[in-house]
Amino acid sequence: MGMTASITCRFILFRAAPAVALAVLVGPAGAHKDPVTPQLLNSYQQVFMEQVRKGDLLFHGDAATEEAMGVVLSKTGMACAMCHPMTADTHPATFPKYQAQMAKFATLRDMINWCIEKPNQGEKIADDSDAMKALEAYIYWSQSGSVLNPGKF
Amino acid sequence: MSELDKVRREMATVLQQVGVRPDPSLRITRRTFVHKSCLVGAATVAETFAWWPLLNTLDVAYAAEAPFKFAWISDTHLYPKSLNTRFVDKVVRAAKEVQAMSPPADFLIFGGDLAQLGKVEELELGVEILKEINIRKVFIPGEHDWYLDMGKKWGELFGQPNWTFDHKGVRFVGLDTVSRGPDYWTAKKMSPEERMGHMATLDGTVAGPWAGVGRDQLDWLAATLANWDRNRPVVIFSHNPLYEYYPPWNFWVRDWREVNEVLKPYTKVTNIHGHVHQVLYNEIGTMRSIGMLATSWPWPYAPEGVPKLTKPMIRVDPGDHFDGVGWEKIDVSAQDKVDVEYVMWRKQVLAQSPDDYAKSIPEVLRPRVADSMWPY
Repeated sequence: MGMTASITCRFILFRAAPAVALAVLVGPAGAHKDPVTPQLLNSYQQVFMEQVRKGDLLFHGDAATEEAMGVVLSKTGMACAMCHPMTADTHPATFPKYQAQMAKFATLRDMINWCIEKPNQGEKIADDSDAMKALEAYIYWSQSGSVLNPGKF
Repeated sequence: MSELDKVRREMATVLQQVGVRPDPSLRITRRTFVHKSCLVGAATVAETFAWWPLLNTLDVAYAAEAPFKFAWISDTHLYPKSLNTRFVDKVVRAAKEVQAMSPPADFLIFGGDLAQLGKVEELELGVEILKEINIRKVFIPGEHDWYLDMGKKWGELFGQPNWTFDHKGVRFVGLDTVSRGPDYWTAKKMSPEERMGHMATLDGTVAGPWAGVGRDQLDWLAATLANWDRNRPVVIFSHNPLYEYYPPWNFWVRDWREVNEVLKPYTKVTNIHGHVHQVLYNEIGTMRSIGMLATSWPWPYAPEGVPKLTKPMIRVDPGDHFDGVGWEKIDVSAQDKVDVEYVMWRKQVLAQSPDDYAKSIPEVLRPRVADSMWPY
């Protein structure tokens, strides 16, 4: 019993040195060493679905959510879902691509902002804003069975 | 197997039995589906889609004691002018064009969803714009016209939502497919605005399968057709399609089986409907169904279940308010033919090649989540 413990201990010591060196380069040593529990995975999923839910409400023009997140996505009464029920015809799996309306190579975020500014006549949102992440989460989640096909016109 | 798949299979079993088709006198010919402005190059298009029946010259035996035309406008979804004028501009244009038809149309059908949120000012704005048209006008309601005040203002303006009249050898019937939604609002103590909000969301799930004809109206329809020769043409106007087409977006009536029971004996039935905001063509049993354009905005096609006889629109330019929308002329000729012409305001609207059509194919969509996570 004692022998076994000793061997294990030495093994850890032997392995520890390069691991510490690597940890300095990539971040907290514990981050990838803690076992990922089902509870943890569930909490990650909950965080994601909360963003999907917020994005769904924004996409459907929910005024309270827009106000809470400090964005004005439309000034015409139009909402994203009026042209894109269940995000149909948003084709997130085809971005980035050349987008004819903008006459440029565009990301999905560029396209979201184009729709906010042009058809909806709302106010452009920042690429790293919470609202953009939520909209992106909802659109990708809605089409998560679609085949990735970047660049497809 | 999903619930939707079960319904689809049942529909195919009930309605699409071997050998049952619309009467051969209603044969689809090669004319007119391609908009007149698209006829340049039509030879190659026809070749590309040779396996796709082209829509809309319908040969109606016993029809038309004299030739006539009528017009259809629907799905204008008017907001007050103070909010935006883009939808207003298009209804104004459609009204001018219908009024300018020469010879004039015998009547105009308004196929529902005049208003966006059912407000009095929206409905009255629609009446004001359509005053431009001096011919007879008949209206059927859409859900957007109805669920703020449960049809009160709509009834004051337009009267009974279902109606029938005979015109030059054709029996026309207007059906109300929107007012029979199940009561999802009372128990939840929703305000009229909340109720309307759920109805105004195409992909919303709170309202459930609201589109339907209703037992009493089915009986009325049967009585209305009882004295009509089964081999004479019947044209039925409805806001929703009278067959199962993508229930998650309520592109159907839930009592399609009963509707089919009533219509089955009649051999020349044409259903002209709005709600889908897209070119759509289907044949179900002895009935053909033609989906009409909106003036407001085009819906994309559903991710599955688009009738195989549909020759689809291509995706439109969202920066162009006049793309993918318009109105329709229906021409009943002395030669017993009915031509439906889509008056589309932009020219490149129909699929011109398999590449165009394929644009909207590879999406896999999920229903939204917020409804189920809401207080409702």
